[in-house]
Amino acid sequence: MEKKNEKSHPVDFLLSEDATPSVWCPGCGIGTVVNTFVETLEKVNADLDRVCVSSGVGCTGKVADYLKLNCCNEAHGNAIKCAVKFKLQKPETNVVVFMNDADFIASGADDFIEAGKKGVELLVIYINNFIYVISENKTFTTTPFTRILVDKDSELLELPFNIPHLAKLCGAQYVARWTPLHVRRLMYSITDALKKPGFSVIEVISPCLIYYATEDKIGETIDRMRFYHDNSVIKHGEPTENLDIRHQDKIIMGRFVDI
Amino acid sequence: MKFFNNGMKIPCGEIHIVKDRCKGCGFCVTYCPMDVLEMSKEFNAKGYHFPEVKNIENCICCGLCEMLCPDFVIWSVVKEEKEVVEALG
Repeated sequence: MEKKNEKSHPVDFLLSEDATPSVWCPGCGIGTVVNTFVETLEKVNADLDRVCVSSGVGCTGKVADYLKLNCCNEAHGNAIKCAVKFKLQKPETNVVVFMNDADFIASGADDFIEAGKKGVELLVIYINNFIYVISENKTFTTTPFTRILVDKDSELLELPFNIPHLAKLCGAQYVARWTPLHVRRLMYSITDALKKPGFSVIEVISPCLIYYATEDKIGETIDRMRFYHDNSVIKHGEPTENLDIRHQDKIIMGRFVDI
Repeated sequence: MKFFNNGMKIPCGEIHIVKDRCKGCGFCVTYCPMDVLEMSKEFNAKGYHFPEVKNIENCICCGLCEMLCPDFVIWSVVKEEKEVVEALG
């Protein structure tokens, strides 16, 4: 693969032509996560022929289209299934799965549990924006119990699903949770998780600017991101039972499981 | 609090911006620790404001703008390293 020249971005050789402009809204966190991931690959001098990226549906599903790596894009919850097949075919590769909440906990949860129980060596970067975006603001198992939702007709009386706890119960070796603004910490987490010989999960809490809680006066673009960043506490090694995201509570960030 | 001691070497950065890629989210301007960038008053080809370099001599080439940018617009390169003669207070 060709390396950079003076006048182009240092990671341009990893991006396909349609990566800019991307489909993500200005201020969305997915672009930052992709940038962090790509910079991590460049920084640890990863063998790029041995990195495979798999992604699913929705906004996060476009990640596989934008990277010039070995990518596969599988719709409707099959992202982990495809990644496991790739890993079994070529055991020396590092396989990274980008997922959002729709294709992870809605339709791909069985594959997630299966891969975790079998201990397949995968890194799952799970971008949580609390809502179905492309099917227009349906409430969901990860939606926190908020006062005003966009979807006013549905009364949501459940607590959101605790993803890090599920990951730990499935047998993940590395579980962490960050927002996109914790870039350096996210980078160190990805670096650590790529070295783990087992299943590792990183949850990234990223705002949806258009559909989620637009009447809650959290703000727009940078204010929304800063709201999540300021309302978070870093507690490494916190027991994963306490990691529920509740309304008007601080969100707990950190590295929870590291075996 | 002293940021730099005498004799320490600080990298001097040079910032490159591809302005037509920018979508104007403002991450780089808000989170630059040395207050180097500002939003321009002009528009780019897509109709967004893009970041501009305000005072390049403050840049220490930390690379935070490069990592935060969702659209691969901005990056910094180490141009030279200068030695601190008079420590900042």
